[in-house]
Amino acid sequence: MNERLKTRLGRLELANPVTVASGTFSYDYADYVDFNRLGAIVTKTITKEARGGNPTPRLFETEAGLLNSIGLQNPGLDKFIKEELPKYNQWKAPLLVSLSGSSIEEFCEIVARMDEEDCAGYEINVSCPNVKNEGIAFGVDPKVVFELTSKLRKHTERELIIKLSPNVTDIVSVAKAAKEGGADSLALINTLLGMAIDWKTGKSRIARGVGGYSGIAIKPVALSNVWRVAKAVDIPILAMGGISNYQDALEFFYAGASVVAVGTENFMNPLATIELIEKLDMHLESQNISLKDIIGKVKGVIL
Amino acid sequence: MYKKCLITAFEELKADYFVLMIEDSALAQVSEPGQFFNLSCSDGDIPRLKKPISIYDVDGSEIAFMIKKVGKGTEYLSKLKVGDSIDVLGPLGNPFPLVSGKSVLMVSGGVGYPPLVYLKKKLEDCEVISIHGGRSYDDIFLCDYPFTEDGSYGRKGLVTAHLEKIIKKHKIEVIYTCGPDSMMKAIGRKALELNIDCYLSLEEYMACGIGACYGCAVKVKADNEQGYIYKRVCKDGPVFEVKELWMEDK
Repeated sequence: MNERLKTRLGRLELANPVTVASGTFSYDYADYVDFNRLGAIVTKTITKEARGGNPTPRLFETEAGLLNSIGLQNPGLDKFIKEELPKYNQWKAPLLVSLSGSSIEEFCEIVARMDEEDCAGYEINVSCPNVKNEGIAFGVDPKVVFELTSKLRKHTERELIIKLSPNVTDIVSVAKAAKEGGADSLALINTLLGMAIDWKTGKSRIARGVGGYSGIAIKPVALSNVWRVAKAVDIPILAMGGISNYQDALEFFYAGASVVAVGTENFMNPLATIELIEKLDMHLESQNISLKDIIGKVKGVIL
Repeated sequence: MYKKCLITAFEELKADYFVLMIEDSALAQVSEPGQFFNLSCSDGDIPRLKKPISIYDVDGSEIAFMIKKVGKGTEYLSKLKVGDSIDVLGPLGNPFPLVSGKSVLMVSGGVGYPPLVYLKKKLEDCEVISIHGGRSYDDIFLCDYPFTEDGSYGRKGLVTAHLEKIIKKHKIEVIYTCGPDSMMKAIGRKALELNIDCYLSLEEYMACGIGACYGCAVKVKADNEQGYIYKRVCKDGPVFEVKELWMEDK
C-alpha cells in the first residue's frame, strides 16, 4: 500500500486503518477476502473455557440494524491456540486476539498464556452484553476497568486495547480509567442493548429477550462516543458501530478514530473491508491528503 | 464464491411461489443438492441481510431457485426480471449424502420442497416416493402423496399422519426431509423408532452464512454435562442425520 493510509494504533504501525469487529469475522472469510490486505485482524472473543453460547433464536434483523445474542460461543483458549491461531498467523496482518474472562485473575491468565504465542495484541472485551457475570460486568465501573487494565499491563508488552460499552452512564470516565491503567488504545463501541418482539404473536425475536444491537442504526451513537472519548483521552481509538463504507469511515476519522472496524456489514457484503480500503485510498488521493491530516479534525463544532 | 450473476429466467408458479434462474457455469459445477446460496435481497434498503435459499435445480450452467414470497426480502426477489443481476454467495453448506439402489422417501412441507427436487434428480438407482404437504392447494407441488391442512387438495391433514403406513408399504430404507421444524422433528422421531436413516435439512435465522458469526445455531448431541452443543446450520449443516440431533421441539 502507500503512506496515505498508514496509521498508528498504540504500539502498532498499521499499513491501513481498516480491520474487522470482533465476532463478525473469522478465517472462514478467507475464501472471499485477502486477509493480507487488512490493516489488522480481530478474532472472535476467546474465553478460558469453551462456551456453548446462548439459546436460539440468536439473530434478528430489525428496522435499521441487527440484533444478536450469540453468547461468546467459542472453543476455549487451549483449543483456540492449537487449532485456530495457526490459521490466523498464516497472514501478515497484525492479529489482535479478543478475549474475555469471569474474573480479573482469569483475564490475566489468558493474556499471560497468549503472550507465549504469536499475536500482535489483545482487545479486552469488557463490554459484551450477551453473557452473565462476564464482560459487561467489568466494563461499566471505571474503578474495575482501572484495576483490570493495570494488572493486565504487567503481563504483556503487546498492544493492549480495552473495548468499551456504550451501555454506561459516562463512557469518558471508563475510557480515562483504561488509559490510567495503561491501555495503549481503546476500542468503541460494543453493541447497544436492543430488543424486538413479533407483534402478531407477542414472541421475543431473540431467545434471551435483550440482545446486542449493531449496524447502520447505531452509527450516530458510535460516532458521538468516539468524539467524546477522543477529546478527553489522548490514546488512539479503534472505532466500530455501523461502519459500512468509506464515507462512514471518514466520519469516524474526523471524530478522532485512528482505525475503523467493519462489523455487521461483513454479513451484507463479504468484501466490505476491501472495498472500504480501496475507496478510502482513492478518496484521500483525490483530495491530496493523508489519513493523519484528518484524524480528530472535525470542523463546525461550537463548544 | 461471491459473484454478481445474471438472471436468465423467471417463472411465476402458483400463488406466492416463483422460480428464479441464474447463470454461472463455475457455480453450477459445484452446486450439490442440499446446499444453498445467500441471495442479496436489497438495493440498500432493509432487509440487508442476504437470504439463504436452497438449490432447486442445476441445468448445465444454470442454477434454479424456487422461492415463496413470505416477507420483504423474498418480495424483492419476486420483482427481479430476466436481465437483472443479483449478488450471490455460495454454494454454502454441506449437501445431502447420496445413496444408491435404495428405497427412498422424501418428505417436504411448504417451501421445503425445492431441495428435494434437485436431490431426486441426483439419486441413482433408487425408488423414490415423495410426500408433500402444505396449508392448502396453493402450497402443493408434484408428488406421490399430497397433503393439505385445509383439505383443499390430496389428503386432509399433516404429512406425518400416514407416515408409518407409507414407510412400510414401500419398504423405505432412507428418508430425506425438509420443511417446518416440527414436521421434520416428527419424521425424525419416527425414523429413529423404525431405525431408518433420516437426513434433515434445517433452517435457522442466518447472518454470515459461512460459519463466522455462530448465529444460526442448532443443538447437536454431545458427550458433555448438558448432552448437547451448538453447531452452525450454515457451515456444519444444513443437512444433519437425525441420530446426531438433540431432538426437542422449538
